Amino acid sequence: MVKNNMLKRIFETTEFVTFTIIVVLSVIIGSINPAFYSWGMLFDILRASIVFSIMAFGLLPVIISGGVDISFVAIAAMSSYATHMYLLRIGYEGGILLYYLIACSIGILAGLINGFLVTRFDLLIFNVSLAMYTMWYGFVRFFIGSERNHNLPAGVANFYSRFLLIVENQFTGVTGLHVSVLFVLGIGVTIALLLRYTTLGRGIYAMGGSRDVAIRCGFNIKTITFFVMMLMGGIASFAGVTFNLLSRFFDPTIFLGQELDVIAAIILGGASLSGGRGSVIGSFMGVIVIQMIHRALILTGIPVEWQDLMVGILLVFFISFPFIRDSFKKLTLKSSLQKP
Amino acid sequence: MADWELRAENIYKSFGGVKALDDVSLEIKQGEIVCLVGENGSGKSTMIKIISGVYSADKGELIINGHRYRNISPIESIRKGIQVIYQDFSLFPNLTVAENLAINDQISSGKKWVNWREYRRIAAEGLAEIHVSIDLDQLAGQMSTADRQLIAIAKAIMSEARIIIMDEPTTALTQKEIQALFSTIRHLKERGIAILFVSHKLTEVKEIAERTIIFRNGKKVLDRDSQGLDIKTMEYYMTGRELDSFWSASASKLKDKENILEVKDLSLAGEFSDISFQLKRGEILGITGLLGSGRGSLALSLFGVTPPNKGKIRIGGNEVSIKNIQSAIQHKIGYVPEDRIREGLFLDQSIEDNIVASTIDKLMNKLSLIRDHEKTGLSEDWIHRLNIKTPSGALPAKSLSGGNQQRVVLAKWLANNPDILILNGPTVGVDVGSKAEIHQLIQNLAEQGMGILLISDDIPELIYNCDRIILMRDGKISSEFERGKVNAEELNKAMIGNLMDGKE
Amino acid sequence: MKISKRKINKEGSTSMNLRIDRQTLLLLIIFFALVLGFGIFEDGFLTQRSIFSMAFQLPEIGLLSYAMMLPYLVGGINLSINASSNLSALIGAFFLLKFLPLLNLPDIPALQIGGVFVVAILVGIAAGLFNGILVGFINAPPILATLASMAFFTGISVGLTKGSTLTGFPQSISLISNTSVMGFPTPFLIFIGVTILLIILLNKSSFGFKLRLLGTNPVASQFTGIENKKIIMLYFVFSGILSAIAGILIMSRTMSASYQYGIRTYVLLTILINVLAGIAAGSGKVINVFITVFILQVISTGFHMLLIGMRGSSFFKDFVWGLLLIFIFIVNYFTRNKGTEKVELLGLFRKGKSMNE
Repeated sequence: MVKNNMLKRIFETTEFVTFTIIVVLSVIIGSINPAFYSWGMLFDILRASIVFSIMAFGLLPVIISGGVDISFVAIAAMSSYATHMYLLRIGYEGGILLYYLIACSIGILAGLINGFLVTRFDLLIFNVSLAMYTMWYGFVRFFIGSERNHNLPAGVANFYSRFLLIVENQFTGVTGLHVSVLFVLGIGVTIALLLRYTTLGRGIYAMGGSRDVAIRCGFNIKTITFFVMMLMGGIASFAGVTFNLLSRFFDPTIFLGQELDVIAAIILGGASLSGGRGSVIGSFMGVIVIQMIHRALILTGIPVEWQDLMVGILLVFFISFPFIRDSFKKLTLKSSLQKP
Repeated sequence: MADWELRAENIYKSFGGVKALDDVSLEIKQGEIVCLVGENGSGKSTMIKIISGVYSADKGELIINGHRYRNISPIESIRKGIQVIYQDFSLFPNLTVAENLAINDQISSGKKWVNWREYRRIAAEGLAEIHVSIDLDQLAGQMSTADRQLIAIAKAIMSEARIIIMDEPTTALTQKEIQALFSTIRHLKERGIAILFVSHKLTEVKEIAERTIIFRNGKKVLDRDSQGLDIKTMEYYMTGRELDSFWSASASKLKDKENILEVKDLSLAGEFSDISFQLKRGEILGITGLLGSGRGSLALSLFGVTPPNKGKIRIGGNEVSIKNIQSAIQHKIGYVPEDRIREGLFLDQSIEDNIVASTIDKLMNKLSLIRDHEKTGLSEDWIHRLNIKTPSGALPAKSLSGGNQQRVVLAKWLANNPDILILNGPTVGVDVGSKAEIHQLIQNLAEQGMGILLISDDIPELIYNCDRIILMRDGKISSEFERGKVNAEELNKAMIGNLMDGKE
Repeated sequence: MKISKRKINKEGSTSMNLRIDRQTLLLLIIFFALVLGFGIFEDGFLTQRSIFSMAFQLPEIGLLSYAMMLPYLVGGINLSINASSNLSALIGAFFLLKFLPLLNLPDIPALQIGGVFVVAILVGIAAGLFNGILVGFINAPPILATLASMAFFTGISVGLTKGSTLTGFPQSISLISNTSVMGFPTPFLIFIGVTILLIILLNKSSFGFKLRLLGTNPVASQFTGIENKKIIMLYFVFSGILSAIAGILIMSRTMSASYQYGIRTYVLLTILINVLAGIAAGSGKVINVFITVFILQVISTGFHMLLIGMRGSSFFKDFVWGLLLIFIFIVNYFTRNKGTEKVELLGLFRKGKSMNE
């Protein structure tokens, strides 16, 4: 009986809906074009999802805590580009570790600044992020450099081709499961454990659920805010370096304008903009769904120029779905609260 | 264990020149069930906040178990066993029952890691303490108010409360749930936990309190054993006036007046059914009933918020169909809502804008632009007429006291010149002085020919103002009372009587 | 201090606004400080030529900022303003390039210009209705709804043009941007005109009044008899119209139309401007947005001139804009409580009207 309840609850989550969408989409796409069911396609989707997933994992705690932040993309761009230009200048020829260490440290500091402004001046996370987004993109392009740079140190130049597995396929060519999926796994698992098994993690959910009650219960809102901001900065920087290494160039404008896509993926995965809900697995699925839709459109043979419109239409339907579901519910369910 | 005791000695507290508490002393002993009663503005909320450490007293001391405190901090007060149950029950709506119950323990023990099995164990223990079984995996936000309240109580006990303070805990409970709550309170007493129950519902106070303390205007005016204390006396101490059990409102001559509103067989699935009544011009008709009786839904239905499925409505003799709020307003119906902050006011906007909010379209000139002078003039007129105390109509509505805010809402509707005015709990959260003025206002409006529906659960208010009172139960009209033919005790009995049917 | 024009309408009553608002004061101080600063340190700044060029670029952003202001006043947002602006321009372009030639009429500038405006505005209205339905009837949260509509409008734009940029418009179209009246560039005058209309709309119309109430408390608004859905449709429609006009100005200045113009940068810029101007649910003044747009333009042009020759000089302004926003946040934090008292005190001395725009 308790199991029935658990199952029922799982069915009602948005995560499950998204999962269903993935399954349904796979079936539909596969039946139109069986080439979809191939390792190559799977690896291709995974590869495209790597960077976005990492960024989503970093942003997720912020969203759960009740805030919305867009500066993470700017932090990613700034920290990865600054690190690269610095390492070039000192003639670095080593491996990826130093890149990640320096960039993530910068990212954490940037997140610290966000956290400070929010807590000290009682500001909305969104408003601060708006300022920092504008500021960092301006900062990096003016003070550090505005051009794309293809000079990769010897130690990192081959990172993009380090695969765990390789496969060949007529649609995707030679693709492989890149080692960086391990990053996704590692970061994802870490964040998931943090959110589920630490007091701090539960505090993030608490804060998103009710800020007042969280304060009353003794959670330190300021500490939590600092933490999620710094975590976001660090992980965004991680994603930035990974993207640059995979693309084999460093560019200060990466992710410009893509902040909303990450937010959309997190929401697709079950998080709520008002906070208190969301999961790592859901966010990951959200990113996958978006990638699947992109590939699906290609595979179904819809002309390139109309693919964006298809995405738009799908989004509109996704938005309208709760409305359709709720009006259905209203007709069948009685209100649980008794009114006088 | 030595007997636990809380004492407050000579507490004074002022807010900007207004005395909220004036030399108040009281004591509560271990396991006592004490009710703190008073009208809005009497100081009872302030007293609670001082005891729980949210406010600090200007003068006076708190003595808890022999420890003297000039001022106590919230955390210290919790450590001393003082637990307040707030309106949001201090629950996280997005977390499970288990987590909500276990979270205080988790934080106070300083643990960094969460053991979910341990959470469940703690939670189950906590619920067992109050002899209640609730699904641990349910999200707190999806539970009924009664269940949430029980969890809040369980939480308080788990934090080793010695006194649990509840502020108007029965507001959203059905009769059955209220009885369950009282039973839980008696359990708590047996465990030696004192209860301070703040309420204005005198019948409940009579039922549960061992000792009754009454505040009025910042002073303690009564503090005695509840045995033998009747509602009339309590009412007297609360308001300082003799309340006639019978109507003291002027009996207007309604014999010759025609019906302004006729309702026949009105039904709304799941809320009320077969409601029929008439309302004459100049009549004040009270509609009351317990939670779940349908009285509030009926009001919302007549105002077009949730239109009825069946039945007929006639206004001024003509059959009308009220499909939405706009059509209700067009038919000259006004609605003063229960929750004025959420449903009636624009707190950040000016008083003037609030007053003209509903009539703005009538203040336009030929170019479809607002006639500012007229707008201000209209607003000033109503401020004057309704005695709204404010230095300027340009100030935001949130700068007003509860009573004045309610007047602004009234002004907004009166500016529309309605024929029928529906008032839903018009004096909730309003101080004694304003309450009397609002009652006077309602009677004046009736005298001028307005038909008034007064929806309320405040029995003295109903008796004082209404020409007739309709009692609803389970969505149907169960009885009707005429002016002079029922008193407060009888009306109350009728409301909660016949409960053995077990319907609630 | 803002003293608006004295208006004597047909009824004979006059209305005069006298308002001292903390945010407006702050913005004005910043503006004049910047103008002074740049004027002193940069020789070419206060020349007619530079002012002229500033006045050309500014109206587009200004109009788009107004388009963002309306939903912001209700605590919402409209992410699709740039997409609908481009779509309006593109449909206008199709009108000029494909439809008009079919009519075989001689080149009548009035027809071309008038026609393109009408077409664009119609598209803007349609876009507004689309958003209005999503937010007002389907009850989707504005951020998600306009994210979806942004994708939708962009999708249509890409589909119609296959991603390419449209050019080859009749010369008359460039007249919109490249002319001036009495020394003022036409786009600038259009911007001023729209500003005045918007101030009237928000302050003196029933819609503006109700919009503010809706932004303050949607539930009470409903209970007061305001048709929330109608107001939502209206503000999105106005937002769409403003975007459309901006689109035409851009089209005229660049003599091209594309789905890409301003993509991913303009929307955030207009949000930045609105936040800087202190626009929030239920409160906000058109004049503040107006001044803020000027401030941003002055910073942009000023630093561009100052740093000319340095690489990446056009990015310095972003850096400054970000810092400026932080600066304003901090100033507002420290003057918050003092400010309101001052305004209220002054309010007491005013007889008669008060207005919260």
